[in-house]
Amino acid sequence: MKNLPGKLLLLSVVAAIAATAQAASEQPTPERDKEVFENRFKERFPDVAREEFANGVYAIDPIGRESWEAIEEFPPYELFIDDGKEMWDAPFANGKTYKDCFADGPGIAHKYPHWDKEQGMVMTLPLALNQCRESQGEKPLKYKKGSINNILSYIAMESRGEVTNVVIPEDDPRALDAYEKGKKFYYTRRGQLNFACAACHVQNPGMKIRSDMLSPALGQTTHFPVYRSKWGTIGTLHRRFTGCNKQVRAKPFKAQGEEYRNLEYFLTYMSNGLTLNGPGARK
Amino acid sequence: MNMKKMTAMLCLGAIVAIAGQSVFAAEKQAAPKAEAADKAAAKSPESSGDNAAAEAAIAAAESARKKAASVDGEWRDTGKMIKKAQAALKAGDSAKAIKLAKKAEKQGKLGYEQAQAQQTLKMPSYLKY
Repeated sequence: MKNLPGKLLLLSVVAAIAATAQAASEQPTPERDKEVFENRFKERFPDVAREEFANGVYAIDPIGRESWEAIEEFPPYELFIDDGKEMWDAPFANGKTYKDCFADGPGIAHKYPHWDKEQGMVMTLPLALNQCRESQGEKPLKYKKGSINNILSYIAMESRGEVTNVVIPEDDPRALDAYEKGKKFYYTRRGQLNFACAACHVQNPGMKIRSDMLSPALGQTTHFPVYRSKWGTIGTLHRRFTGCNKQVRAKPFKAQGEEYRNLEYFLTYMSNGLTLNGPGARK
Repeated sequence: MNMKKMTAMLCLGAIVAIAGQSVFAAEKQAAPKAEAADKAAAKSPESSGDNAAAEAAIAAAESARKKAASVDGEWRDTGKMIKKAQAALKAGDSAKAIKLAKKAEKQGKLGYEQAQAQQTLKMPSYLKY
């Protein structure tokens, strides 16, 4: 009985350690997140093959798919690919080219986004292209509209058939933190309409908003940059993020800012295993 | 018409013309006076009170917008409403400025509350962990 307080203290410590360990094991990992995410679409669209989700809304909208397939016979993004090839080959003022920055290019889209340990941030392809330009004494390109889409189109075309493979390295906890921030962004309700990204694209894909069918989140990153009939031109993924935020009446964030890069990291990770098929064409 | 009648009519015409001129001159003089009166009214305690109220409402709206932005909760149109309120105040329409600013302030407050309510990530129930 003498040692009772000591024993009770020891028991409390053991119980606290066990509870912490259990809580840690219940914390969903990215792998678990992805499994649950994919299951959601399997349950909602049991007849759609997993690989089909790379085709976005046309995986689940047979009527829209007919017009999309007709559009793809004469793709509206072809000219942008040609211009992008010229950009890729053209020397900068110092005589170097993009190839000097991306030795394994131009088919490099599947390597992005990735965790850049040195810079401690998510590196996206548009950001890497601009870092290349600046290192060669060139002005950076704009991140939503304009000629960045040309070179992105060319790179996307050259990367067709590669598989999405975003890695969250375990040796740098900042990478997991960036992933978690992207995930938090995706499930956070915002704007006057109080919608999260997931409210449309995970909870309600296949439902209609006016005449448009909501696309499934799975596979949403495979086809960028995208030619949208609504835009009448081609645009980047971050331009699309901006548009989505505006649609729910939230103030959008800066293209290639930390918020959208983390969001891209999370969202692309969710599509791991799907084939890249950009540039794409959408309504 | 005899000479007397003609002289009388000419005199009457002259009187009417002189009277008309003096009325016109009086009106001309009165116009700047009316403008001055309007300006004075604009500077009256009641009007400057409205302006001050509009300025205060705009400042409150801007403060609410910044607070919402500090937690990434700013809504799309809040900043635009504040700009419109500022423009309305500049144009002298303080009532419109106050109305817009109050609406913007409410948006700022709601955006902040929304972001605060979403601070902790809660996975939706339709995802089966």
